[in-house]
Amino acid sequence: MLRILRDLLRYNPEFRIGIVLVGFVLILSVLASFSPYPPDQVYVVPPDVPPSPTYWFGTTSRGQDVFWQLTFAIRNTLLFGGTVALISRVLALVIGLVSGYKGGWIDRVLMSINDTFIVMPLLPILVLFYFVMRDSMSWLILALIMACLGWAYDARLIRSVAMSLKTREFTQSSVFSGMSTREILVQEHLPYVMPIVFSTTMNNMVWSIGLEVTLSVLGFTDINTPTIGGMIYWANQHTAMVAGIWWWIAFPTAIVVMTFIGLFLLAVSMNEYIDPRSRLSRMGGAS
Amino acid sequence: MSNALLEVSHATKVFSRGGLLSSRRIVAVNDVSFRIEAARPEIFTIIGESGSGKTTLSRMILNIEQPSAGSLVLDGTDLSTVRSNRDRLAFMHKVQPIFQNPFEAFNPLKQLDRYLFMTRQRFSAAVGQAALEAAVDEALRKVGLSLKEVRHRYPHEMSGGQLQRVAIARALLSSPKLIVADEPVSMVDASLRMSIVNLFRALRDDLGISIIYVTHDLATAYYISDRIMIMQNGRVVESGDARTVLNAPQHPYSQQLRAAVLLPEVTGGTAPANSPST
Amino acid sequence: MTASPALPARPDAAAPILAVRDLKAHFRTNHFGVKRYVKAVDGISFDVRRGEIYGLAGESSSGKTTLIKTIAGAIKPPLEVVGGTVDFAFLPGYGGLHRAPPAEVARIRWRHLSYIMQGSMNVLNPVRRLRATFADFARSHIDASDRQFEQAVVDHLARVKLDASVLTAYPHELSGGMRQRATIALATICRPDFIIADEPTTALDVVVQKDVLGMIRGIQREIGSSVLFVTHDMGVHAHLTDRLGIMYAGRLVEEAATAEIFRRPLHPYTRHLISSLPRIGDDIQRKGLEGSPPSLADPPPGCRFHPRCPLAMAACSERVPDMVETEPDHRVACFAVNGDQAP
Repeated sequence: MLRILRDLLRYNPEFRIGIVLVGFVLILSVLASFSPYPPDQVYVVPPDVPPSPTYWFGTTSRGQDVFWQLTFAIRNTLLFGGTVALISRVLALVIGLVSGYKGGWIDRVLMSINDTFIVMPLLPILVLFYFVMRDSMSWLILALIMACLGWAYDARLIRSVAMSLKTREFTQSSVFSGMSTREILVQEHLPYVMPIVFSTTMNNMVWSIGLEVTLSVLGFTDINTPTIGGMIYWANQHTAMVAGIWWWIAFPTAIVVMTFIGLFLLAVSMNEYIDPRSRLSRMGGAS
Repeated sequence: MSNALLEVSHATKVFSRGGLLSSRRIVAVNDVSFRIEAARPEIFTIIGESGSGKTTLSRMILNIEQPSAGSLVLDGTDLSTVRSNRDRLAFMHKVQPIFQNPFEAFNPLKQLDRYLFMTRQRFSAAVGQAALEAAVDEALRKVGLSLKEVRHRYPHEMSGGQLQRVAIARALLSSPKLIVADEPVSMVDASLRMSIVNLFRALRDDLGISIIYVTHDLATAYYISDRIMIMQNGRVVESGDARTVLNAPQHPYSQQLRAAVLLPEVTGGTAPANSPST
Repeated sequence: MTASPALPARPDAAAPILAVRDLKAHFRTNHFGVKRYVKAVDGISFDVRRGEIYGLAGESSSGKTTLIKTIAGAIKPPLEVVGGTVDFAFLPGYGGLHRAPPAEVARIRWRHLSYIMQGSMNVLNPVRRLRATFADFARSHIDASDRQFEQAVVDHLARVKLDASVLTAYPHELSGGMRQRATIALATICRPDFIIADEPTTALDVVVQKDVLGMIRGIQREIGSSVLFVTHDMGVHAHLTDRLGIMYAGRLVEEAATAEIFRRPLHPYTRHLISSLPRIGDDIQRKGLEGSPPSLADPPPGCRFHPRCPLAMAACSERVPDMVETEPDHRVACFAVNGDQAP
């Protein structure tokens, strides 16, 4: 693991930039634990102070320190994106691999469910959920809902790879070595779909964070939990741009863009590293 | 019935291709019957070109495909009754495959010995690491390798011939009665090919394993087979003793195949015949 | 097309159409610090004469694919030409397609140099009818009216026993044998001087293969091209080629007239290769060769065959044997055959 990290750092500039960006964002989110102000209280500092040595990123019209507020916001946003990605990856993997390997009626049933999810319009459903659940809508529930809506495309992608793996001779060798279906899927096929999982994790996080920001900006989420979108929502409520409180919007936006770019670069470089073809040529096999 | 190792009777396989409205039926294997005796291990060769149904037939024998009609009975067990995991393991204990492409026979990302140990563990009661290693080493020695050469090696570190040997060793680890080999040497280099072919002979003579050898190559078929069966478009056109059939094929298609074999020697030589030396 | 030197009008039959001299083409890869250096073609010299079919035989990892890629100028990283020259008579002065300017290469492609590949689908565009494919490749090289061109194509298709109706077909509508015959027609329609054929019949069924080989031979005789024919199948070589070069681990080990090689192979590798082939109607026990072909990333020193060679002697592991013409037109690289030419 350490060797992988070292190799990637040494030979891959994308990885270096990615790790700096994501590292910065992560450090910021960790700092939330050291915040002098609780995130949900307002008017703890003088409002509308521009960035200064005392308040690095300035303060909001609601009397909150933008820097410390941002640490909470990015932590919650990352946690949200990570949860959605994790749950939806597991769903996509299980359904994609099983569907592709088993084929037949199992494949047909799973894929018709899959296609149903693909054609469902997302935003109206999420807004609907918000109106139905209202106060009981927490970020965790939103994450669960989005995870359930965010696996279908990638399951199809994984299924197509699994279908071609199934026809390869080593799959039959595994069957005739007495391996169970679960063993074949986990030990033989999983390494080949990991590149897809990695690259889609990044896409999925960007997608879910983007959607969360959209919903928050529109006010369709639990606005009392600070998130990047929530911050922008409050900034808009206070017409921050018109009032010239640019730092209230600029810093959250900059952080979220950094997160996106960082995740993207990490995914690209990791993908190159774990791709079976690149792995094989490093091992000395046919490239 | 009881003394047949494999009894294929009227096996037929129909694939339907196409959509809901215009499905096309392709009869890949059409009413094929043959029988391999348990008492007399032999190399039974199925010869055919692409589209002859030979691969589909071998997949039916391996129970990867199910026949649309007819039956396949292995050692008293009808293959259509093999469904549960236990039945499948019992079936694979008796029949093992060798595939065409040795470079594809093992997961390129995994170490080779893993498959060998796995096969031994799943198909025999042997316990203990030492007994396991001894069994794997013994199987590898039967194919001219040893555990020392194979341990912790990846597929790309070995040649096609070595990999095909490992594949045969893996098959032997379940102590099968029948090995189904689909074009096992067509992707092995010429200089290594004959050692693999000779190995099949040794399996038959020394270990009493029957081999179903599926190929398009008449020359190796002649070299190792006891009996052959020539297929065309899913049907058997000619079968019988290998030497008899290949020396004097009766069916027009067999004759055509026989005539198309490119002999590895220059005929009609106009060059002066040099006196042989060395 | 400026200053394109006209094809030298010298009917010098002795001058080879292709002269490869000490060609070295290596793969250099670097994946996350894992460096590999594969000497796939390592010092190969041979000539192809006018009007002959020169066969190149070799197993997997013998470097034969890299060799013809290099000759065809298809050099992309990580493959590099490290040294040596590839001189076509119709492309003098550059030392290889990869060094010639693109305009020159475009000029000679199809007109002077064409290819028949293993997968016909690589050449035939799957979404275009054959008529369009023929026009794409050959129209610009043939100076004729559209009617005349079409007639020329139809006449030419007849040479490979294809009906004019295939022109309206898509490639997938044809059988494998018909497709391969169409690619042969495509490769020969401009009457090129030189054809590179890479395992063109390997994917075909045996019955079809024999027909296709016959057509390649017939058309080659008719238009007088030279062919570089690569396959691992010794039976095909015996049936088709005039002269034969045997490759082993990136080097040429023996070269002679095909009949001569089959009758009197000199190199121990060739000898083994030929004696191991089973024949219908004879029951001699055949043996495989011990050991495996070496890895080209880490080949043995000296003669690369010596670890597997029954005749190996001390010199074999120390020095590389040269290709020596032991008899007229029969070259072989082996100390055991030529005697040790040590100083």
